[in-house]
Amino acid sequence: MKPGLLALAAVSLSFAAAAQQAPVPGWQQGRPESQAASPLAPNAPKLTVTPVDQLPVGRLTLPAGFKAEVHAHGMPGARMMAVGANGTLFVGTRTIGRVYAVTMEGGQQKVRTIASGLTQPNGIAFRDGALYVVAINKVLRFDGIEGKLDAPGTPVDLTAAFALPPEEHHGWKFMTFGPDGKLYMQVGAPCNICLVDENRHALLLRYNPDGTGREVVARGVRNSVGMAHHPVTGQLWFTNNGRDWAGEDEPEDTLGVVQKVGEHFGFPFCHMGSMQDPEMKGRECSEFSAPALRLGPHTAALGMRFYTGDMFPAEYKNSMFIARHGSWNRTQRSGYDVVRVSLDAQGKATMHPFLGGLLDGNAFLGRPTDVQQLPDGSLLVSDEQMGAIYRISYAR
Amino acid sequence: MRRAVLAAAVLAAACAGLPAGPARAAGDAAQGKALAAERNCATCHGAAGVSATPNIPSLAGQPEDFITLQMILFRERLRDAPPMPDMAQGLEDPQIEALAAHYAGLAPGHAADRAPRDEARYQAGAALSEKLRCGICHLPDYRGRAQIPRITGQREEYLAQSLTQYRDGKRHGSDTNMNAVVYGVPDADLAALAHYLAQQ
Ligand code: HEC
Ligand code: HEC
Repeated sequence: MKPGLLALAAVSLSFAAAAQQAPVPGWQQGRPESQAASPLAPNAPKLTVTPVDQLPVGRLTLPAGFKAEVHAHGMPGARMMAVGANGTLFVGTRTIGRVYAVTMEGGQQKVRTIASGLTQPNGIAFRDGALYVVAINKVLRFDGIEGKLDAPGTPVDLTAAFALPPEEHHGWKFMTFGPDGKLYMQVGAPCNICLVDENRHALLLRYNPDGTGREVVARGVRNSVGMAHHPVTGQLWFTNNGRDWAGEDEPEDTLGVVQKVGEHFGFPFCHMGSMQDPEMKGRECSEFSAPALRLGPHTAALGMRFYTGDMFPAEYKNSMFIARHGSWNRTQRSGYDVVRVSLDAQGKATMHPFLGGLLDGNAFLGRPTDVQQLPDGSLLVSDEQMGAIYRISYAR
Repeated sequence: MRRAVLAAAVLAAACAGLPAGPARAAGDAAQGKALAAERNCATCHGAAGVSATPNIPSLAGQPEDFITLQMILFRERLRDAPPMPDMAQGLEDPQIEALAAHYAGLAPGHAADRAPRDEARYQAGAALSEKLRCGICHLPDYRGRAQIPRITGQREEYLAQSLTQYRDGKRHGSDTNMNAVVYGVPDADLAALAHYLAQQ
């Protein structure tokens, strides 16, 4: 086979899940003929540095007593965050292919690019001195990273052990360590809506950190770009992005909790526990697990963490912060904020607004992508569009 | 900030029906002009941003965001298209934004060596463009918007080459839309599309 043909085969593989349909861009797939002329399309990324005086930090709104400031900036595409044992903040990206490290030096936050040229290195996690980075079908481990930020050297390549699917669409990863020491991540559906191999796509997975012991934790999850274990129960909670082109107001993105390893959350047949897919027929919502909470239509609920610090008011303890990146497949923009979800004694989830102010009419000023708690109990929020990280603190 | 928000609102009005994007400051076109001269961009891309050289694209009138994004992809060596990755080394983000503002502000034009129109191929290209909905993303007059390039009036062989590279998985942009659009489209159809667009 000629190289060109090989490349073609590789491309066709990425659409294999779309069965025999003509391949269309993943985000367009599932768009009804009636909406073929819709001007809605994913927002363009911004890959250049935004000067600090153009950051929208002054526009952010928060509950009384909370304050936002710029923590770090000049890092285009900043997305998922992880904190090292010595306090280094690591930040993954998508389009720009970089991993950043932020350290406090001489009273200032210094930003370094410690890896570049990767294909969507969105997933990052830190454990035992090592930084784990997952790009599309690539898993790297930088041992002893905090001692060599200026010359990280060649990482250990764990790609073969993890054997992730090569599809780019929904192929970027969210990654986090569980209390069991395992590495948790998702494999999204390689489409907007399509039939998937239920052992290969639309999954939450866990692995031993060396890539052995792959285990399916949940099925039928369209694409989760945020997961965290409850600090008391140890249960895995996760955000999930709903399908597009099935309505302005539905389905909603959701927050789920895994009660039983391997349970099925309904994709592609059932969305948010109650909505039968207009195209994918054959299985009923009653067959599947329902989410714990709806997080709004097209809001793109991404990074989430539990709050375990002492700085914020007592009712914040063990509640979740969720970054809502913001919509594209909706005439009136939704999301572009950070919400808090509390759980009552019965485990019932309730959503509260937390950080807002990033929508100006129907224009957006920033895109919250992940949240991360610092040891002092303050909360970091990454803004992918502005390449900045804001720090939220509280004083009575 | 007020000004930036206003700019976004104006932009929104310009692409009627589209939800407005983020507020963003434009690059400095005058600085970009000086930098383009210093870096000899004109040797290849033409004095007025209209290329007279086969396989080198015209840049005049391209959307600012498109040029910026492609320059960053070159600099980060994510788009492998010699000689551009080498050309882009050492350029700071504000310099790239300045170059983009400069080229975005130049009047688009046709290559002087453009071949005459072949009516049959032109009509075939027009039909394919309709069928594959090129005008939805690139806009009906193909002038592009934001990260989506101007493809009207571009050099024909460059259009054909780009389309072939997308189809064969040899070019990736800031997303994979184009790879999917031309997936499996035969050479003759890509050639017809390129001819039709170059003749706009
Ligand atoms: C030695 C010739 C040469 C010089 C000098 C040069 N370029 Fe290029 N440029 C090319 C070629 C060839 C391509 C097309 C590469 C491909 O697609 O294979 C290109 C592509 C580009 C593109 C992508 C356009 C598109 O439509 O995809 C941009 C933007 C660009 N050049 C900007 C510049 C700028 C700005 C400078 C000066 C700093 C410059 N180039 C200098 C040869 C050159
Ligand atoms: C789904 C939206 C979409 C559709 C439909 C679409 N394009 Fe594109 N096109 C893009 C985007 C986005 C880019 C920039 C990609 C990149 O960064 O390389 C692009 C880039 C291109 C380029 C590269 C130009 C340059 O200067 O480098 C050509 C040529 C092109 N498109 C032609 C077409 C043609 C012909 C069609 C119809 C067959 C088409 N496009 C349909 C979104 C689209």
